[in-house]
Amino acid sequence: MPEIFINGHSVQAADNQSVLEAARASGHFIPYFCWHPKLSVAGNCRICVVQVEGRSWVEIACNMPVTEGLRVFTDSDLVQAHRKMVMQFLTLNHPVDCGICDKAGECSLQDFHYAYNGTPSISHEPKVPSTKFHDLSERIVLDNERCILCSRCVRFTHEISKSCALGIKHRGDESLVRASEDGALDRDPYSDNVIDICPVGALLSRQFLYKARVWYLKPTPSVCPGCARGCAVNLWHRKPTWQLKALDPKQNASIARVTPLENPAVNGPWICNKGRDLARIFERPRAEEPMLKGKPVELDAALDAARRLIAAAKHPVALVSSWGSNEELAAFAKAFSGRLAAFVKSDCSPEPGEPIEDDLLIRADKNPNTTAARGLFGDAPAAFPTETDLVLVWGEGFPFAQLPANARIIFLNAYLQPENGHADVFFPVSLQTERAGHYTNFEGVVSGFEPCFARKPGVVDAEAVFAALTGTPKS
Amino acid sequence: MPGTQLLMTFPVTATSHSIADYRARGGYATLMKVLETKTPQEVTQEVTLSGILGHGGAAFAAGRKWQVIKLDDGQPHFLCANADEGEPGTFKDRWILEHNPHMLIEGMLIAAYALQVRNAFVYIRGEFDLPFRRLQGAVDEAYAAGLLGEGILGVDFSCDLVVYRGAGSYVCGEASGLLSSIEGKRGYPRNRPPRLTVKGLFQLPTVVNNVETLTNITVILAMGAEAFKKVGTPKSPGTQLVSISGHIARPGVYEVEHGYPLKKFLFEDCGGMMPGAKLKCIIPGGISTKVLTAAEIESVTYDHASFSAAGSSLGSGGMIVIAEGTCMVRLLQVLLRFYHHESCGQCTPCREGMGWMHRIIDRIVAGSGRPGDIDQLYQISRWNDGNTICGMGDAAGYATIGILDKYRDEFEHFITQKRSRLDGNLEVVAHA
Repeated sequence: MPEIFINGHSVQAADNQSVLEAARASGHFIPYFCWHPKLSVAGNCRICVVQVEGRSWVEIACNMPVTEGLRVFTDSDLVQAHRKMVMQFLTLNHPVDCGICDKAGECSLQDFHYAYNGTPSISHEPKVPSTKFHDLSERIVLDNERCILCSRCVRFTHEISKSCALGIKHRGDESLVRASEDGALDRDPYSDNVIDICPVGALLSRQFLYKARVWYLKPTPSVCPGCARGCAVNLWHRKPTWQLKALDPKQNASIARVTPLENPAVNGPWICNKGRDLARIFERPRAEEPMLKGKPVELDAALDAARRLIAAAKHPVALVSSWGSNEELAAFAKAFSGRLAAFVKSDCSPEPGEPIEDDLLIRADKNPNTTAARGLFGDAPAAFPTETDLVLVWGEGFPFAQLPANARIIFLNAYLQPENGHADVFFPVSLQTERAGHYTNFEGVVSGFEPCFARKPGVVDAEAVFAALTGTPKS
Repeated sequence: MPGTQLLMTFPVTATSHSIADYRARGGYATLMKVLETKTPQEVTQEVTLSGILGHGGAAFAAGRKWQVIKLDDGQPHFLCANADEGEPGTFKDRWILEHNPHMLIEGMLIAAYALQVRNAFVYIRGEFDLPFRRLQGAVDEAYAAGLLGEGILGVDFSCDLVVYRGAGSYVCGEASGLLSSIEGKRGYPRNRPPRLTVKGLFQLPTVVNNVETLTNITVILAMGAEAFKKVGTPKSPGTQLVSISGHIARPGVYEVEHGYPLKKFLFEDCGGMMPGAKLKCIIPGGISTKVLTAAEIESVTYDHASFSAAGSSLGSGGMIVIAEGTCMVRLLQVLLRFYHHESCGQCTPCREGMGWMHRIIDRIVAGSGRPGDIDQLYQISRWNDGNTICGMGDAAGYATIGILDKYRDEFEHFITQKRSRLDGNLEVVAHA
């Protein structure tokens, strides 16, 4: 445990740490572009310089090993002059198009320019044009004029996703980040992480391109339900204070983008591309009315009908959703334990072409809470005795054709699907984005999610349905 | 003959590069002597004692580099000869590769023995055609003669030598960029620490030496460190192959003993300036060293101390002689075009700075210079000094500052008058 001194403050550094890591760990700020906690040291941006006491030159902190008694200054005159120099270089040919850049507001280059340079370029040469709107993949657009060649994206594909999909071609100030071969980045299921780690607005998401200014958006911590890993994510949606009337109301209640939320126990700082596309899952057409045999009714009437069915049933079976939160599963167990034979159902199975499982994050089980559900209800496959007369189906994904032909059906589903009308009683239930709760991932790690939007009118929480169904029928 | 000759000791003939001729000159006897009578530690000690400095440009003591390698660390070690000779004006290693390749191989085998290297490499620049064929031919001859491969000369020592051709990048001549290139990666130089002698090729301890340095190893072991130290000056023992070009009567490769008077070398050994030309300045050791004016080289002798006292360095031995009448603005334009073209683009100051300086000088030469341009060239050069991963940014800065310091008036004239002060004055003609 070497002791080093940063700006005169004693810091206990760990062995094999760099000065930059030790400074970060102890709350001393050193700016950086190319360094990333999960990637190898490239040392190419040159902004993370510090001055060692007694030396008349500066050195990069990301590649400086800590040694006992090392004294560094992160803000000496020389360091400040050097940072200003690096910013002059980096902004030399960088377009001043923050006004139309998606990264503006969360861009390191923008922040550090104001923090360490703040003056216009001293150059009188015209900016050198380069490629704009280069499609690295179907999901990612590259603006080479904005690229500062920090090589984070290249190192990500070599060291984390291991697809080696990106490289740099040409040299000098004509260097270009390019896919190693056509479609290489399309085949990388983690490709969108390069958008997050890009310190500037060079790598942009095709889906998010020009969709919103980030300062109008608010991140809500959530859990990706795409597989049993349960990665922590931020769901970005419009801030309540910026709900503009002139805007299409749908935009006020839609997920603008999904980014990883760092959780060392689960996903680190990464998520897969499926997690980026949660809007495609959550923003399918919604069921918004309770129904009796396909006819819309009031919620009370539906609840009453369901209570009667349950009371009348002699051999009822329940198919429990593996998308239910821990709280909902507990409510279900409390309401029906002993009254229904419950089996855990897999709501989602891999779609054609979807990566099944890998060493990094993606799990074969495409449901978020199978672990908690099986903990409560066992892992036996759904079994229907011949005398089954009622099936409570919670969640999508189970073909009604496989249910016993004579059984009555109570169905809880969030989406508008043809099965809804075939059920005897149908409840439209809320989504993860409309309520709080927790999931337990395949390793037993419990993560929580918070609501982003208000519940749609007519939609009811599954937890409330289960609580209401414990009562006796009114008539 | 500029002093004692150690390498250019034989007449170049059609067969002088062959193993038969080399053996007739006493070749490979040193290797046999070393393998039979010396331990690896003794060889390193001998090299350290000789005080030989690296001949690639940085003049780092070869023995000190070798001593970092720990023979008992249980790791494989690598040896690599840097034959990428990319510094403009330098073509001295080419002479060794073309005319005396076996002496390089012998030197490398001695070094490999001293450093316990099983696999050695020669990284040769892609543009070298004849040198590559000569060297590869010599390697093949050495394999056939049992001098490379398993059990060399019947002793318990094995070493394989691979000649690796580069693809023509200046930066791949930098030791770590060279190793990245051998590894099959982009030829990006690496950050230090770790040093290459700790983590080099494939993250294993590696010694990278210049071709001339490794060739001199044969000489040192043949004549002994004490005798070697008697050649040259105490601080710069031995000789230096100098490739001289430009407005000089007899350009070519000469072997110059350290301490030999520079003016005598230029005006006697090289035959003086081209007919009708007057000396303006020299670039002493590849374009990355600072220019020295005619007045500054009056009392300079050819060794490291004397050149650094004059404000420049001996560099790689690639000397360019420039005659009165040459426009230094256009000369700097050529240099900056080269640096811009060769910057690898890895780290910010060099990547952006080279292009920036090139665009400024292009504008000056096009007649659109601005009063602040000279200061801006100074500023960009200083910004590069010591702030880049490898030495290329510094080198470009040194070269620029050297020319601006000494010929600022030419630049000011070009900027204010929008034309060169020397237009029409270049009276140098090629050999009649």
